Amino acid sequence: MRSSASDSLPNRRDFLALAGVSAAAVALGSGVPAAARTGGDRVPPDPFRLGVASGDPEPTSVVLWTRLAPDALAPDGHGGMPGRAVDVHYEVAEDERFSRVVRRGRAVATAELAHSVHPEVEGLRPGREYFYRFRAGGEISPAGRTRTAPGPRERVDRLSFATASCQAWYHGHFTAYRHLAEEDLDLVFFLGDYIYEYAINSGNLWRHGVELGPAHDATVRTLEQYRLRYSLFKTDPHLRRAHARAPWVSTWDDHEVQNNYADAHSQYGISIEDFERQRAVAYRAYYENMPLRRSSIPDGPDMRLYRRLAWGRLADVHVLDTRQYRDDFPEDSGAGGEHTDPDRSILGERQERWLTEGLRRSGATWNVLAQQVVMAQIDRDTGPGRTFSMDQWDGFTANRDRLFDAVRRFGIDNLVVLTGDIHRHVAAELKADFTDPDSATIGTELVASSVGSDGDGAPTDRYTELWLSNPHVRFYDGRRGYVLATMTPERLTSEFKVVDHVERDDTAAVSTVARFVTEAGRPGLKREA
Amino acid sequence: MSGVVPVVHSLAAEGGIGRIDLGWQARRPYRPLVDHFAVYGSRDPAFRPSADTLIGKTIDTHLRHEGLGPRGRTWHYRVVTVDAAGRSSAPAGPLRATSVESVTVAGRPVAVVGEFDLRSLELALAPRGYADYPARFPDGADYVHGVSTPGTHWPYLHPGPADRWAGSRAHTFRLRFELPAAPAGDLALAVWLIDTHASIPGRLDVSCNGTAVGNVALENGATRGSLEGDATVPGTPLKPSIVELPLPAAALAAGENVLTLHKGEGSWHAYDAVGVFDPG
Repeated sequence: MRSSASDSLPNRRDFLALAGVSAAAVALGSGVPAAARTGGDRVPPDPFRLGVASGDPEPTSVVLWTRLAPDALAPDGHGGMPGRAVDVHYEVAEDERFSRVVRRGRAVATAELAHSVHPEVEGLRPGREYFYRFRAGGEISPAGRTRTAPGPRERVDRLSFATASCQAWYHGHFTAYRHLAEEDLDLVFFLGDYIYEYAINSGNLWRHGVELGPAHDATVRTLEQYRLRYSLFKTDPHLRRAHARAPWVSTWDDHEVQNNYADAHSQYGISIEDFERQRAVAYRAYYENMPLRRSSIPDGPDMRLYRRLAWGRLADVHVLDTRQYRDDFPEDSGAGGEHTDPDRSILGERQERWLTEGLRRSGATWNVLAQQVVMAQIDRDTGPGRTFSMDQWDGFTANRDRLFDAVRRFGIDNLVVLTGDIHRHVAAELKADFTDPDSATIGTELVASSVGSDGDGAPTDRYTELWLSNPHVRFYDGRRGYVLATMTPERLTSEFKVVDHVERDDTAAVSTVARFVTEAGRPGLKREA
Repeated sequence: MSGVVPVVHSLAAEGGIGRIDLGWQARRPYRPLVDHFAVYGSRDPAFRPSADTLIGKTIDTHLRHEGLGPRGRTWHYRVVTVDAAGRSSAPAGPLRATSVESVTVAGRPVAVVGEFDLRSLELALAPRGYADYPARFPDGADYVHGVSTPGTHWPYLHPGPADRWAGSRAHTFRLRFELPAAPAGDLALAVWLIDTHASIPGRLDVSCNGTAVGNVALENGATRGSLEGDATVPGTPLKPSIVELPLPAAALAAGENVLTLHKGEGSWHAYDAVGVFDPG
């Protein structure tokens, strides 16, 4: 897995020689200051098989990530690493050849965190591209590219980002990431279902060219199983490449723990006590495998994932967690019933307050919600009746109303909601009153299809009519892909990218199936292509 | 995060037919974080936990050891906590527990339909002919012991109201059998299933000569018994379960008796065999 480009870099010898020198940074891999704890330097060969990543850029800092796993699919989830701690050194440079290194540091990789490290590199310059790499023992990782956010009051011409979600590895190759990694991106938003917890066997292994042992044919519930599942999904080279190409801003949905869970409530008859223990190991494994800052280190069954980042004065991004604090499914799922209870919340009280406050204080041109489940009202009955999904924002209408009230009250002109979950591309307008097509449009929702989930797919399918029968839904496509967006002070351009197949191989070409423009100050969608 | 991995406490067990349910309590499951509990078991009381004696791993504080067969069996268990760093606790236990013997082992058969062999294959329409059920059995089964035959008169699948293919209604199976005299003591009913529906297995109403003798919530199965009929195949996805309950002497009579199995809730269950026994 060692990058040949890195191997040929002229100052690789310097990096090796500088082991442990200038280790001023905190060893965030274990949450322990580097000075207080030292790992060893002995590492099995080829420990960087899971790749490298960066995330959550701020104007002067970014978090880096890697996880040592020389035997990535070792059944105990420890990736072939021994139990001892290991020093992982990193360096950050302004150039791809690492001739202008600006930061070096060390983190301690421990077995408690599956030998993952999450160093937060400080003291960088705003709005700049950087390159990074890790060293453990004599092994050097592939290099990654990242960038810092612009300064807080900076006028920014452009933010280029992609959104992706739902990567059921067993349903197909991550061809979408092969193309995403070639885009010129400032950020990647991952919107949930990074793994799936289902047993993998002949019934759902649609990805050609792979064979799996019995350890994968089991519903994931223990920490070793979650760790193994992340490792399995990260064996896809295009996923690793996408991580290495741009900083990711990630949130989860349900399958990082269990299908359709709500707070501490499993939908599979598991007691709250048992499910909280499962949630604790699932959250631990999520943290271990994602480029997340120290603020997201889990505490038992709890983990703070909602957070905010800014892209100069251009955009405030509110990353939401609609799983951990939501009310359970209503007993009565009839339209107009319990799902409209004013006390119901998909965000939970604290996160709702935090979001409202963030919207109130925002002075950015665009306010972006990076989140999981569809926010637009979707009547799923194509006839005269009305049926709603209780798993999406439709199951929490009062929470949606409170959010929309805040958007209007605080004069949020340009609300953009980024969504995943449904394995389909959808573009929708968020209406002040979804039952009145003439009511004001107060936001724009861009739903990214899946990277892998549901296999090849097709432009139209049995759900097309359902979605398009809702007048505020402007576009639908059932193929795998991602959304590519360019945001400027004047407009948001969103392109829905698709690949035609993912099951048999990863060679499918990418195409743009639709392009929309949202003018600043005029929420909604104007189709250009 | 270092330190000793806590040993679980309050290890307890309850035997059932063909299984033993184990439970325990965890101390401080989040510090250090418990990866899983590993349950080890053996017929040998002096066993040591090893790969060979591993029964299962779970994040729950309970585990069902199943597939133990119809005879009462004594097992010995130990539970090890494994933490996030891969460290193991000292084993809790050993705990001795015994499964309950099925009435099919030592009871005298009075009226039996099929073989208690974890297969549905000898029953009508097995292993996957359920689509013919509505035409072949519009009124359910009406089986006369000594006259009817399993392969013709007792369908392998008993549908419920949740099954649209069977008319979305309740279905009743009857087993008629003769007793030479009113029994002095209770008899026993054994209903062995090779599988049930995974999410809506429903309930089984049992009555004898019009007297209700049981209303049993069936266990969740794997929703595969409608399509395959041999739970002895290695790696089978089928999830067999067993219902055994007394038939009170007061509900029985000399001459013909009618045992009624009524599925008025949930989806189908798939039979292995059904029998009335004198437990002796």
